[in-house]
Amino acid sequence: MNDIPSKAAAAEVAADAITIELIRGAMKSIQNEMEALIERTAMSAFIREKKDFYAGLFDERGRFLVGKSRPGSSDLIGPILEQYPAESMRAGDLYWYNDCYTARGAVSHSPDQVLVAPVFHQGELVAFSQAWAHFSDIGGMHAGSISPNCTEYYQEGLIIPPVRLATEGRVNEDLLRVFLRNSRFPDAVRGDMRALMAAVNLGDRRMQDLLARFGVPKMRAVFDALIERVRRVVRERFRDLVPNGTYRFVDTVDSDGHGSGPIKLRWKLDVTPDRIVLDARESDDQVRGPVNYLMSMTEPAMTFGSFLLADMKEHTLNAGAESLFDELHVREGSILQPRFPAPLGQRSITKMRNLGAYLGLLGVATGGKMPAAHTGYVIWNVRGRNSRGQPFLMSDGVAVGYGGRATADGHDAIYLVAQENYPAEFVEAAYPLRVRRYSINADTGGAGRWRGGCGVVREMEILCDEAMVSVRIEGDANPPWGVSGGRCAGSGRCVVNPGRPDERLLPPLSDGNILKRGDVVRIETGGGGGWGHPFDREPERVLADVLGGFVSRESAERDYGVVLSANGRAIDIEATAERRKDRPTTKLFHRHEYFETLE
Amino acid sequence: MTGSVSNSASIADGVLIGVDTGGTFTDVALLDPASGALWVSKTSSTPDDPSRGFAQGIADGLAVGGVEGASVGRVLHGTTVATNLILERKGPSVAILVTEGFKHILEIGRHDIPRKSNLFTWVKPVRPVPPQHIWEIPGRLSHEGDILEPLDEAVVRKAAREIAAEGISTVAIVLLHSYANPEHERRAAEIVRAEHPQALVSVSSDILPVFREYERCVTTLLNAYVMPAVSTYVERLEQRTKEAGIGAPLLLMKSSGGVTSTQSARRKPVETALSGPAAGAVGAAFVGAASGFRDILTNDIGGTSADIALILGSTPRLTTVSAIGGWRVGLPMVDIMTIGAGGGSIARVSRAGGLVVGPESAGAQPGPVCYGRGGTEPTTTDAHVALGHLPPYLLGGRFELDVEASRRAIETRIAQPLGLSIEAAARGMLDVLDNNMVGAMRVVSVERGIDPGELVLVPFGGAGPLHGASLARLMGCKTTLVPPAPGVLSALGLLVSNLRAEFARTCMQRAGHYDMAQLGAVFDELTHEAIAWLDNENVPPASRLLTKQASLRYKEQGFELDVLWSGQVDDAALAALLESFHATHQRIYGFSLPAMPIEIVTLRVDAVGMLPQVTLPEVPERGPASSAIIGKQRVAFAAGPSDVPIYDRNKLGCGACFDGPAIVTQLDATTLILPGQVAEVDKFGSIVVREKS
Repeated sequence: MNDIPSKAAAAEVAADAITIELIRGAMKSIQNEMEALIERTAMSAFIREKKDFYAGLFDERGRFLVGKSRPGSSDLIGPILEQYPAESMRAGDLYWYNDCYTARGAVSHSPDQVLVAPVFHQGELVAFSQAWAHFSDIGGMHAGSISPNCTEYYQEGLIIPPVRLATEGRVNEDLLRVFLRNSRFPDAVRGDMRALMAAVNLGDRRMQDLLARFGVPKMRAVFDALIERVRRVVRERFRDLVPNGTYRFVDTVDSDGHGSGPIKLRWKLDVTPDRIVLDARESDDQVRGPVNYLMSMTEPAMTFGSFLLADMKEHTLNAGAESLFDELHVREGSILQPRFPAPLGQRSITKMRNLGAYLGLLGVATGGKMPAAHTGYVIWNVRGRNSRGQPFLMSDGVAVGYGGRATADGHDAIYLVAQENYPAEFVEAAYPLRVRRYSINADTGGAGRWRGGCGVVREMEILCDEAMVSVRIEGDANPPWGVSGGRCAGSGRCVVNPGRPDERLLPPLSDGNILKRGDVVRIETGGGGGWGHPFDREPERVLADVLGGFVSRESAERDYGVVLSANGRAIDIEATAERRKDRPTTKLFHRHEYFETLE
Repeated sequence: MTGSVSNSASIADGVLIGVDTGGTFTDVALLDPASGALWVSKTSSTPDDPSRGFAQGIADGLAVGGVEGASVGRVLHGTTVATNLILERKGPSVAILVTEGFKHILEIGRHDIPRKSNLFTWVKPVRPVPPQHIWEIPGRLSHEGDILEPLDEAVVRKAAREIAAEGISTVAIVLLHSYANPEHERRAAEIVRAEHPQALVSVSSDILPVFREYERCVTTLLNAYVMPAVSTYVERLEQRTKEAGIGAPLLLMKSSGGVTSTQSARRKPVETALSGPAAGAVGAAFVGAASGFRDILTNDIGGTSADIALILGSTPRLTTVSAIGGWRVGLPMVDIMTIGAGGGSIARVSRAGGLVVGPESAGAQPGPVCYGRGGTEPTTTDAHVALGHLPPYLLGGRFELDVEASRRAIETRIAQPLGLSIEAAARGMLDVLDNNMVGAMRVVSVERGIDPGELVLVPFGGAGPLHGASLARLMGCKTTLVPPAPGVLSALGLLVSNLRAEFARTCMQRAGHYDMAQLGAVFDELTHEAIAWLDNENVPPASRLLTKQASLRYKEQGFELDVLWSGQVDDAALAALLESFHATHQRIYGFSLPAMPIEIVTLRVDAVGMLPQVTLPEVPERGPASSAIIGKQRVAFAAGPSDVPIYDRNKLGCGACFDGPAIVTQLDATTLILPGQVAEVDKFGSIVVREKS
């Protein structure tokens, strides 16, 4: 203990605890600053209002340090390093891709453009600054590039394999011209590209400042320490939560919009004292329609990592989570690992279902210590010409409900982390559309001790002569499940001219729907499953839900056993007690009826 | 001491009193423009009824200055009544009238989870108004203000009666596109007032006639939410000033950094939400300007939080994108970033061995461990005490600090778990806190396109001057200016602020199709509103200042930049405006798109009523700095321990110059100057710290 060298060594290691904190904080600030720049300067509504973008920082080997904390791939730099070895890179270079297949699912549909700048300090490559954003149109079959009608990757816009966009600060304008020429909205694409380039350059400069302050050896040591810390914490938490055993869970995508379906995602988790193995090989084959999800091999671990670190603010998700699983097995040619050139554009239906399947696996393994499933977020596109004869494209993301949790209700009316809706006042000023209604879709949140979140109703009237509409919304065959006694969610649909003689449903995954002036499109989105027995929900909460328009009076009585007074504004305590005596028995999962596991 | 009145207007001359109410203390500054004499005092705040602390502050101030109530020329006040009500959710029930189909406007909001939150653990905050208190009203406008469907007055009438029957008497009215045409909202307000005479009504086209319905709705409802309490509070204040024998006008500080009459504050009380922090920014701008510094980064560090702001050309920067308690408010407010970092921030070692400082705070009770009031968790202040940055007493010796208790707490809770010495642990705590603050300081400077190397750092608040020297180094600020009374700078800011109001309206102009007549007409209307307000505030013509602003964006962008509109509304001014937008975009974001058409979104007229300006009293020469040394203190710097002289700030005169390391004590703050820095006292008593060249 009085041994001086060991004391000094201990002090050095521990001093790193502070440096680690300083560098972690500074890198998070850099990410924020890059994202603020993109948000404020990007031009397509998809990026600037909906905010579909993220920035990240990586070490020289391409290991993920800070960035997106929601489910996704962490291997964004690898595809570039394979094409351009580190030795060939120079300060001021800029790299670019959107090619999901070459990048092995680093991005999983082609509108997401990835830009990367290597960060050099005194001639040495130390890190990478990266940003991606969803561009509104990069060519392809229809405006918006990713159409439910696509049956080939080639139809989903221009494919950009990893390329060098700038060499030592000189931008390859020829390459950009080709890209712009392929877009139906070149002005917005040019602006978005400038915004992304400015953001990665900013990240590069800020990382250089940090390197000047701390030096390369210390920064590298901190990168290692941060990754090691997350690796350790994620594994420990997983072990705390999941006992040894073999667990299976299956979830279902209704349809690919081209005649295939239901499509099964079959997962198996094997946990032994020394190995954690995840296996999706039994999942169904890839399909003709664009719901194939080219899952990055790092995505499952990053998603589990995000879940396991959820309540630990002192940790930032990084590449340390990648090693959670000792093995991950997928099957080429399956829905989760399609072969080129299967179309991918609507993969988020499958991706969101797949996230639900992970939760389901955890549910089986832990007896329900995780959130219930949720509806995949909804997108619809309207294209036409405005009153000045100019073409327009509105890509509107619509919120859904998320699953109830062991400690809280599911989110009502949320699209995803950090992505915003278009204000009605923006829509009406920018497009020939009128927003007639935007409200909570009552009774779509699964009943439970903790209610699932509700979806929304978004209704718009077409104010131009003709518009072509595409829609992607989850159908009603397999609504998101409830757990621990909670019931399944209500599902969504898309109706044209509701309540009129010409009322009709649009197929949930369709494009080329032609609408005329005066037609009304109503999108009704689904919710999240409930958590826990609905009869355990406090009657006061149920009453508040009824008054607020989240739960109907009928559902309150039927699903929650809460009877309201004649005027509907108070709880009938006696009747409620009576009704709750007849308590339905439950099983772990619920989808239309209760099951121990879903198959 | 000398002082002067640089400009006299018809607003009554006389002694000025500024009262800034904070969470713990109510600070008072009193200035006699005739003699230049400045007095400051502090009294405890009285959160149950802040007007008592206000009255006590006024009484103390008058006593300290030996001034009669009758000779007071104006009373200026910074208040947290509106902020606290919003943060603590203690307001009344509010009813909202919205356009049919939008009952869930608040529940849906912008349908997002905040960018830094986790999908699995985030919980949606409870909305200030539940859907059952939101009434839908048929009637529709286009985005250009055309009436597409008439207002259904019968439904408004029925809603008003139902609201009255519910016992709700605070009403917000927010109809779609009312920024383009307020007619429906005004008619609805008339009907509500007629049917429900007790109702206090806030109308969105009065409060914030700017597009994006959710943000406008939140701003309007928060206005309604704080209206009854602010109204009552203002009445009490007026009563209290009368009781103190003061007949002079009472002016309240607004979030935009200007003061307004109590009458205006009653109508738009939400404008007082950032009252105190805005006054601090004005005070920093003022002391900076006196010392010849116009571009400033401020950091007001208190017990639980740090407020950071950017000042360019001696004017605090305004933003229309900010939030109070997580609720978005679109009104022009001083661009202040608040983070949970202060003298009371608690340090902890996480399970995985990381050091975390804040945002949890020991607050005023129990406070830091060294206060000996039962605090057990080491705070920032304890780290300063352990390192010797703070002498073992505060308030000029009236309050002793328990140095050993600080050291023990740091040792057991931080140093041992991390395997560090007490000093290294304490330094680590401060480094982590400084790092958090630097992150926020970068947001308000670098992210706004300003190189911090060109800014002067003005640290203030009780804990600011302890961190100024290290923050300046981390930020690359070449100069730090420690104001004469850092602990009461907000109160000083009140004394030097002008009357101010902003009038904005969305007036969308498509790229390349600017309608000069419409632009002129909207600017005319806004100017008329501004002049009516100045008339109402009795501002004489010579003291009026009107400036025009426009918010612009490149076609297809979604975020606007405010640009000054100089001169008349004509083609030349427009051309200059567009030019200036390109340049601003280049400066802030690092690129511009000269070929890209530009859209005009919102027009704004800022009205300023110049109040008679005051100058800071000057301090005399008091001989060499060494004569102000009152003791020595052992400080543990990273490079090794050192005996550091302690200077008494009251004994430091104009021109006094000394090298760091040094500690400067005064009643309301302690300043730390690091080895390698040099300090000089200027003629206003500010300490200017620079790196030794």
